[in-house]
Amino acid sequence: MLVSLLSFCWILFYINALTIGGGYAMLPLLQAEFVERHRWLTNQEFLDALSVGQLSPGPLTVMNAFIGFKLHGLTGAFLAVVSSYLPSMIIVTLAARYYYAYRESEIVSSGFKGIKAAVIGLLAAVALSLGSTSLADAGTILVAAGSFVALNFTKSEPTFIIIAAGVLGALIF
Amino acid sequence: MDMIDFSLMADIRTTGPVSLRSIFLAFLKMGTFAFGGVYSMMSFFERELVQKRKWITHDEYIESVAIGQMTPGPPIINTGICIGYRLRKIAGALTATLGQIFTGTVIAILLAALYMKAEHYPFIKPIMKGIGASVIGLLLSIIIKMSGRSIRDLKTAAIAISAFVCLAVFRLNPILIILASAIAGLLLFRKRCS
Repeated sequence: MLVSLLSFCWILFYINALTIGGGYAMLPLLQAEFVERHRWLTNQEFLDALSVGQLSPGPLTVMNAFIGFKLHGLTGAFLAVVSSYLPSMIIVTLAARYYYAYRESEIVSSGFKGIKAAVIGLLAAVALSLGSTSLADAGTILVAAGSFVALNFTKSEPTFIIIAAGVLGALIF
Repeated sequence: MDMIDFSLMADIRTTGPVSLRSIFLAFLKMGTFAFGGVYSMMSFFERELVQKRKWITHDEYIESVAIGQMTPGPPIINTGICIGYRLRKIAGALTATLGQIFTGTVIAILLAALYMKAEHYPFIKPIMKGIGASVIGLLLSIIIKMSGRSIRDLKTAAIAISAFVCLAVFRLNPILIILASAIAGLLLFRKRCS
């Protein structure tokens, strides 16, 4: 139990320290660790965590508190928060102090440029894997397509789209 | 403007240091009411911190956003850490983060508690089914938006496609893919030193 709690914290720490490009950039690594490697969550549960992260205000990473609570209770949620934001705390304060050196660093910026491009491909693979779990019938495919259209072609807030989809789900499924 | 020393920022303010309590409350408000995409949050932050409270200037804000985006971790949190750090050093950075994540984390934990009793509440499953489908649609539109920013030429497109194939087809460990793409970035994009 303690070992799995520690490795849970370590996973969140290293993922937050390595991924650049927003909360979504972490999804491929989170899925690989929690679902594929350790099998702490099913693909469906991971998707549910992502849904909660999307639904809650603030950054997507609050989904880590959801996962922490599900796996290890309140301690897990608390440690998930600490492990998720500790890397940011260290790296950002250093980057703010040495901003110009950091900004001009070719090694940092060219490496990150590669990572940011790769993240798109990884995220597409994750969308495919999660989609095969959640898009089970014509109804779910319609909801996904509708959300996509609403977000791309109207100015709707993602949170309201998700709430609408939840209400729709309660009515039709 | 290129040689501003951030460590002096707090000292040149005439109004005295901003209290940790007001940093917490400002970021609590932003973390609670900032829905939607990064861009709507960014303009909300600017309104609150630059225009209303005048804690930082527009340029300082833009620089904090830049730092937030070029550091690992959630950019919106990193921007907050950077602003908190400028206002009150480490204590300010911690306070800003706490304020920003407080509401979302509490809601996520409450939902987790409810979710774990889902079998007692049959209405939860169809709701999650609807939301889960919708999230896939959102994910696709986010991938498209992110590609617009990160995929600019053939090299970046090649990295993205290789990463997709490595994960979707060969099921390689994504951390290896990330590290390999960083090395590819170094090899492809680093300007040759003369």
